[in-house]
Amino acid sequence: MTVLRLDGVIKVFGMVRALDGASLEVERGEVFTLLGPSGCGKTTTLRLVAGLERPDAGEIALRGRIVASVPRRVFVAPHKRNLGMVFQSYAIWPHMNVYENVAYPLRLRGVARGAVREKVTRVLDLVGLAGMETRAATLLSGGQMQRLALCRALVYEPDLLLLDEPFSNLDAKLREQMRVELKVLQRRLGVTVLFVTHDQIEALSLSDRIAVMQRGRVEQVGAPRELYERPASAFVRDFLGQTVILRGRVASGPAGAVSVEMNGGLTGRILARRAAPGGALPPGADAHVAIRPEDIEVAPAEGPPPKDNGLPGVIDALLFVGDRYEARVALGGGQRIMLLLPRAREWREGQRVHLGFPPDVVSVWPA
Amino acid sequence: MTGAVAVPRPRRVELPAVLCTVVLGVVAFCVVFPVVLVVLQSFQVAAPGQPARFGLDGWRAAFSEPGLRGALLNTLTVTFVRQLLSLPLAVLIAWLLARTNLPGRGWLEFGFWAAFFLPPFTVTLSWILLLDPEYGLINTWAARLPLVSRGPFDIYSFWGIVWVHLVTGSLTVKVILLAPAFRNMNAAFEEASLVAGAGTVRTALRITVPVMAPVILSVLLLGTMVSLQTFEVEQVLGLPFRFFVFSTMIYDLLVTRVPRYDAATALGVTVLVAMLPLVFMQQWLTRGRRYTTITGQFQNRPHALGRWRLPTLAFVSAVVVIVLGVPVVFALLGTFMTLFGFFNVPAPWTLNNWKTVLTDELFLRALRNTIVLAAGTAVAAVLVHSLVAYIVVRTRYAGRHALDIISWLPFTVPGVILGLAMLWLFLGVDALRPLYGTTALLIIVGVVSGLPLGVQIIKSGLLQLGGELEEASRIAGASWWVTYRKIVLRLMAPTLLAVGMIMFVGAARNIGSFALLTTSANRPLSILQLDYIAQRKFEEAVVVASIIMFLSLAGALLARLLGLRGSVG
Repeated sequence: MTVLRLDGVIKVFGMVRALDGASLEVERGEVFTLLGPSGCGKTTTLRLVAGLERPDAGEIALRGRIVASVPRRVFVAPHKRNLGMVFQSYAIWPHMNVYENVAYPLRLRGVARGAVREKVTRVLDLVGLAGMETRAATLLSGGQMQRLALCRALVYEPDLLLLDEPFSNLDAKLREQMRVELKVLQRRLGVTVLFVTHDQIEALSLSDRIAVMQRGRVEQVGAPRELYERPASAFVRDFLGQTVILRGRVASGPAGAVSVEMNGGLTGRILARRAAPGGALPPGADAHVAIRPEDIEVAPAEGPPPKDNGLPGVIDALLFVGDRYEARVALGGGQRIMLLLPRAREWREGQRVHLGFPPDVVSVWPA
Repeated sequence: MTGAVAVPRPRRVELPAVLCTVVLGVVAFCVVFPVVLVVLQSFQVAAPGQPARFGLDGWRAAFSEPGLRGALLNTLTVTFVRQLLSLPLAVLIAWLLARTNLPGRGWLEFGFWAAFFLPPFTVTLSWILLLDPEYGLINTWAARLPLVSRGPFDIYSFWGIVWVHLVTGSLTVKVILLAPAFRNMNAAFEEASLVAGAGTVRTALRITVPVMAPVILSVLLLGTMVSLQTFEVEQVLGLPFRFFVFSTMIYDLLVTRVPRYDAATALGVTVLVAMLPLVFMQQWLTRGRRYTTITGQFQNRPHALGRWRLPTLAFVSAVVVIVLGVPVVFALLGTFMTLFGFFNVPAPWTLNNWKTVLTDELFLRALRNTIVLAAGTAVAAVLVHSLVAYIVVRTRYAGRHALDIISWLPFTVPGVILGLAMLWLFLGVDALRPLYGTTALLIIVGVVSGLPLGVQIIKSGLLQLGGELEEASRIAGASWWVTYRKIVLRLMAPTLLAVGMIMFVGAARNIGSFALLTTSANRPLSILQLDYIAQRKFEEAVVVASIIMFLSLAGALLARLLGLRGSVG
């Protein structure tokens, strides 16, 4: 069942098209994430769903009910949409204590006094805030404020929970912890979530599906692994995770595989089983060979060279970062790539290495 | 990081357009319409009671009569000299208070804040005690010195008027506006200069002041606008030697037996037109900073004054004594004098003044009027100003910019002209005529004249509140009205109370706007003291003035306790 549907929604602020014809569908029970750089329109989308902004074109429907439609001249005020929302600043009302903050939406819905108490207690218990009912909201820590904001948004069982960068004000440790807590809680309650973030780790780890946005448009929608492993555009490829790019020219393109001749002083070929989305490249065309750095196989040059799809290189900078090494490897011909090296082995600057590029994880893109 | 469009913009809500339009209409009617009436009136040359006839006689009179021209010239000279003297002093004191380790700087700043609330009228009376050419204390002491034949000071002079202005509004308002601005400046600018090898003084002159130039200029413009509104000081000190500024001139033209409405209004319109560029410049200067909230991220380490610490402390304390201590002490002393200003008569002290005033039927009625007026103004102002501020800051209402500008307009209209405009409005519109002579009319005037300040304070409060607290309530299921009541009003309560206190004080001490609108029925204390002066009853006047002073100080203190700081520039 579709909980949320956006259809060709446009939102203009002055001269800027913050949202330029976005269409999305969010299914019941899933965590759907809007991911993109600052200014891509993801927060605007969230605010349009919440009813805090009016669209300039298009339609928005919640559980089949149209809540905003320009052609039909419909606009449902935010308080009539039965949504929950956790704000970036948490927006905990400082003049109310913990209990009153959570009880506020229930009282607005005319819930009986006894039922309010029971529901508030249950939801506070759920996130580990039990016993803090009378604490002043301003005396909570960042993590507690966030849990409280979550309680307040969940207590009335909204049709859709909106999260606007909820982790951005937490420190790194707490952020990881809250991420896990949120995922467990969401699975337990089965609530549908629309989540906005610019942090790819958050997006990849929490989401069932992700919409990557850029300049007010949806670039690609898909499950996290699908986006990571089979990006539909160079923007998605580079926005999610690290990518190593090698420049070259297409040598031959038999069905199902492309072979690329490396540029410059770097001699060698790379065979890719996958061409970029958008069709095969003709032989002789400039091309980029893309691979995730963790997929590159690195071996010392003393050992036997990899059978095929290998290139020689020299470590020209080596950085120990704790759990691994980061290395810059010069491939000749002016091409340099950043790699991750396991800590299990000793590495040194100036060391010659063999790099293996498994054909299954290499992709070829037009330059 | 936010995912929003890069341009920061205030959060906006939808508010019933009808409500916004009603607010805009009422405010425009009370602010714009009277001003238009004044402009029209300046071309209406027929004598009162005669059928209307339009011409330029009033304008001709305003610019040809030497008296009127003199008044305009006096206004400009007094304004210019006031600003010239007060600005450097205020910048110095604000810098000392905000960016050095001056001992007791918190208390000293509070002293300036309290002094800002002293009614100029009361302060004027205090200084008469000290600087009267014949009997003033300072003059009689000075006369005892060798080589001094008679007292060197005369408060009834150009310099006397400038002096009283300096110690009332000019200096204090600048200090309380500049000190917070200096405090919020990023210290890194100064630190970079110190590291580069400049000393404290050179850093202050070459870095701090230039960096703060827009703020200083904006405060200077505000000060100039306030200067142009001056009324009571000149009314008390200028009249004895026939020294008029335009506001006292207008008053004079209107209270004579044959009122010269055309000339008075022409003069008023001239000043109004002169004010407009100042307002737009001031608005333009502050526009860029309007949405900056104070984050307090940077550390402000105060400059060490070193061996200058004590001399500086002595200097700033002396200024506080002059602007706060002297007026309070001498106003109070004056109330116990048998003959105001005469310290050398036999039995100079008495309680009779208090007895006379407190049992005077006129006083009791005026006290009642003032309390109703001040309380009514406070309540009505909070309601109206908060609505206007909310519409301007938070809604998408098409007329919000117009409302913003209109809320600034009363600042350009000197009190006497505002009073005149209101007089026209309430006598000219039949439906409103019954309000003439009532306290309700004065409350409306009080709300209108407080509009710029009240709206400005509430606006900055709303901007700091941030929109998410309201949005969270909307999403949680509350309508706009419930959100406004349960979230906005509750969170803004301290600010609104502070605005209420300020409006209470303003209404209790306002003279200029009320002078033309009072009858014996609705006369408040502030006008009563003026009437006492006109009858040369200084003893009674100073008792009333002291009462108003203590009302003002109590209100200032309450507003301060409610958390209002001088950051209203």
